[in-house]
Amino acid sequence: MSISKDYRKELKDAAGSGRIRLALSRAIKSYRVNTDNALKKFPHTLKMAEDVKLIKEASIPHMAELARKAGHSIEENKGKAYIAKTAGDALKIIGEIVGKNRLVVKAKSMTAEEIQLREHLEEAGNEVYETDLGEFIIQKLGQRPMHILSPAIHVPREDVARLFSQITGQKLEPDIDTLVATARELLREKFFKADVGISSANVVSADTGTLFLIENEGNIRLATGAPPVHIALVGMEKLVPTLEDAFKVSEVTWRYANYTVPSYVSMISGPSKTGDIEKVTTYGVHGPKEFHVIFLDDGRTNLAKDPVLRQALYCLRCGGCLYECPVFGLTAGYFGDKYFAGIGAVWAAEVTRNMEKATSMAYTCLTCGRCKVRCPMKIDVPEMILALRKAIAEP
Amino acid sequence: MKKNERKLVPPGLSYIADNIRDSDNILGLPVEARAKWAEGLVFSSDRSTSFFAGCGYQYSSMLEPLVTLVRTADRMSINPDLPVVLAGIPKKMGIDVAGIYTKVLSRDEGNDSGVLRDAVRVLKHLGVEMAYLGRDEPCCGAPLYHTGLQREFAVNADKAFKRFRSLGVKKIIGIVPSCTYALRSLFTRTVPGYDIEVSHFIEEVAGKIKPGQFRYPGNIKVAYHDPCQLGRYMGLIDQPRQVLRAIENVEPVEPEWTSGEWSTCCGGGGGFEVVFPDMSQTLAEGRVKELLDTGADILVTQCPGCLMQLKSGLKALKKDKVEVVDLATLLARSMNTK
Repeated sequence: MSISKDYRKELKDAAGSGRIRLALSRAIKSYRVNTDNALKKFPHTLKMAEDVKLIKEASIPHMAELARKAGHSIEENKGKAYIAKTAGDALKIIGEIVGKNRLVVKAKSMTAEEIQLREHLEEAGNEVYETDLGEFIIQKLGQRPMHILSPAIHVPREDVARLFSQITGQKLEPDIDTLVATARELLREKFFKADVGISSANVVSADTGTLFLIENEGNIRLATGAPPVHIALVGMEKLVPTLEDAFKVSEVTWRYANYTVPSYVSMISGPSKTGDIEKVTTYGVHGPKEFHVIFLDDGRTNLAKDPVLRQALYCLRCGGCLYECPVFGLTAGYFGDKYFAGIGAVWAAEVTRNMEKATSMAYTCLTCGRCKVRCPMKIDVPEMILALRKAIAEP
Repeated sequence: MKKNERKLVPPGLSYIADNIRDSDNILGLPVEARAKWAEGLVFSSDRSTSFFAGCGYQYSSMLEPLVTLVRTADRMSINPDLPVVLAGIPKKMGIDVAGIYTKVLSRDEGNDSGVLRDAVRVLKHLGVEMAYLGRDEPCCGAPLYHTGLQREFAVNADKAFKRFRSLGVKKIIGIVPSCTYALRSLFTRTVPGYDIEVSHFIEEVAGKIKPGQFRYPGNIKVAYHDPCQLGRYMGLIDQPRQVLRAIENVEPVEPEWTSGEWSTCCGGGGGFEVVFPDMSQTLAEGRVKELLDTGADILVTQCPGCLMQLKSGLKALKKDKVEVVDLATLLARSMNTK
């Protein structure tokens, strides 16, 4: 069967409901206006995006080498670095560091979603809290994220009010300020009681071993700063050679994610330390005492060898393409696997290796190419989809 | 490749692929059905420059009822795969598929094959001399490529190139965007020694049009819809706008965020209408709304697929006063009142 029945039904129901379409049409409009304004205010971004594309093209073929280099830098900074060949390896490494019966706070991470890290840690007997507001809503609803940056993009405020009323046992009005304050209240103590904080990274510089984390809510600062242990799971495609490269990647990422500048960018290179007493270096002052970074391969170095499909690894995860995809506008993340829309089909085929999903998604793409116009990396999604269809139709 | 080996290809696309291989057109129509649109038109006998009609406009009168059929099946939650629908549903629903075939053979008015006649008249008006290969015109095979059957596409392309060469064709003027893109870019990639020059109708017109040659009978606001393969794939974004501006009495209008390279797909891209018929209809309605927000009196585009989609969208939205026409037709209408 080329398009799986379940997938067809999910898409049809999503497109038919009209609620997703309404939520998305508002989001699309504001994305376009905000991005347009951000690019007008900082017109150098266009040229910088071209520089970043060159950086990514040069880095992707050498991911494994960059991971080793970054690992050395992190170890020099007294952190611990690991290279996980497979999703299973990554789960094992992280599972051993966390242990069981621990309280874990998590920043939003597509890479963690990719390997189903939260579920794995919960099964091992840990209590895991998603701290990104959208992701927290999704976790409590028992759903999966529907957009890479705004996971709860399809959930209207009334539904959030109903959910939070259930959790708190109080009747909450569908007022956004109240709902945000409730989430703050619910999660505040978790940050400080947590044994472990887990994050990903938007980009990592190999020369200094520095993780860049872009955010607006402040949950990443707390999740990576308050608990005594910080674990970062990073896809190997996020590595670039230098700190200067990483600054460029970060700026282009947030600008195409529709921000002139985000509220926070954390740069993390090692555990918290002090030399204030007799110049004796001591670890774990106010921040984490332990800092672990896991670089995940899981099909990425293999994907990097494909002359067409390797473009999928240039993705900065700004989410811009999703706002331009007409099908995504009707269905949100139901046109997706772990990653969404046309480019998501490549990730499904090559990284999570869900061929049934990849096939269904490859034939859902319109190949209209508007995503490519938006993409700061000019990733040619139609070209990748046609290569994928060829692999499917003429194996 | 045999049908049953293509397990993973959506059946609707596989159906089209089989037709291209067996009958040299997307719908499996007999050779008598071809080239009927050109009856009575006079072409040059020198084939060095030839007009390429393609399948879409010629057979649209048949495509429309078929797409309506699969959409109805999809909405009724019946398996919408085209071959399945063709085999089972029509009888139950009282629709006569054989009748649709006969209709396309007999009809020459009131369908989009008129666009081809309009295009030829416009080109002649501008002094372009060209031949038409008629029943000898090969299928470009573009749907094979988009389905993923790229080896079959290459075999078909090779055959098509040999036929062009044996007929003495040096330059092709295309009109269907996907045929033109295939003949221009995909053939260059897959056929060794391919040396045929390929231009699109709109490039010919934009290169020759002069002020005062075209005047629309009455003042109209026109919103132009960019077909994906013409705009984003081939970069022909300025040419249609330049042509529209050159027609007297036409006021071009553009949707705020979705014109030119940002144009929204009509919902017919990549064979989508036969794989997800109902969603394709929803997308068509969405695109029509964007275009109507401009206050346009007429929607103009240049692709048989887009024409079909936009018509279908307008119909569903009950916007009977707004018309969708091909740019070739708009030009032909503007020629008459000179």
